[in-house]
Amino acid sequence: MRQFGLFFRKEMLEMGRSYKWLWVPLVFLMLGVMQPIVTRFMPEILKSAGNMPKGMTITMEPPSGAEVMAQTLGQYNSVGLLILVLSLMTMISGERQSGVSQMIFSKPVSFVSYTAAKWMSMFSLITVSFVLGYAGAWYYTVQMIGSVDTGAALTAGGFYLLWMWFGGSLTLLASSLLNPAAGIAFVSLGMALMLTMASGWFPRYLAWSPGSLPQIYVNGLLEGQGMTEAAGALIISMLCILACFAAATYRVKLVKSKI
Amino acid sequence: MNTDIPWNLLAPLIFIQLILSVVGLISLYKAESTRGPKWLWVIIILCGSLLGSVAYFVVGRKDVS
Repeated sequence: MRQFGLFFRKEMLEMGRSYKWLWVPLVFLMLGVMQPIVTRFMPEILKSAGNMPKGMTITMEPPSGAEVMAQTLGQYNSVGLLILVLSLMTMISGERQSGVSQMIFSKPVSFVSYTAAKWMSMFSLITVSFVLGYAGAWYYTVQMIGSVDTGAALTAGGFYLLWMWFGGSLTLLASSLLNPAAGIAFVSLGMALMLTMASGWFPRYLAWSPGSLPQIYVNGLLEGQGMTEAAGALIISMLCILACFAAATYRVKLVKSKI
Repeated sequence: MNTDIPWNLLAPLIFIQLILSVVGLISLYKAESTRGPKWLWVIIILCGSLLGSVAYFVVGRKDVS
């Protein structure tokens, strides 16, 4: 436990030194705030873009607050996930390549506390960034567009947070397996994308897969339903996160024993 | 055409953007070396808005060890 605390402090320090604690939350906040503003002023933006044929008019239904929140989460699903993967991808592989991990493991330290500290710091970075951005999006949506059902928004946010944790776990697992940063980003983003797409194609068989989490939060936000599969997807996703953690720990141990 | 730019709404966004660019530039100034020439990163951070600073933090910074 003491080792875990030390490692955790080290990870936090490292994230601070590489400015991750600054730019990841700020980018998330910006993404979250931008969506309600863009949606609200879309008619004006289209008008001043100016390349519309004369006489053409666009009538747009003003979107509801829940729709804008769902769009914001969609934004996090593309750009936000990319930002997370990019910021986390070298967490394990970087130390392996620079020789820091060899230095650490020349002492009798436990592999579990080493990877657990990585995972916990990843969770805290994601949670802080996402909660900040989501709160910003919520505030702006309520101020500019319309009220959002509190329960639905909180549930959707919770599911979405779990999905981000899962994405972060995939990234760390890839980081423990591969060396090139581009390969890590490619594998983890590709896995997340494939899981999402697959559960869109075979909703009946993959209702419990972590990939269906994005769909669940959209449904929950828009219609307040789809919560029957939610419990299953919740449990399976947590198990997947645990499996990623176990596999990465095993891999770190394996690499160490080869030195 | 009447384009009232809602500055009070955009102010937080501009503020965040400003923080990111300034911190990026400070970190660039303090860094001994970066991936790629420094003057190029100055241009990218100043002109590339949000993605410019993010690109610098992700790609340009060399981790000091």
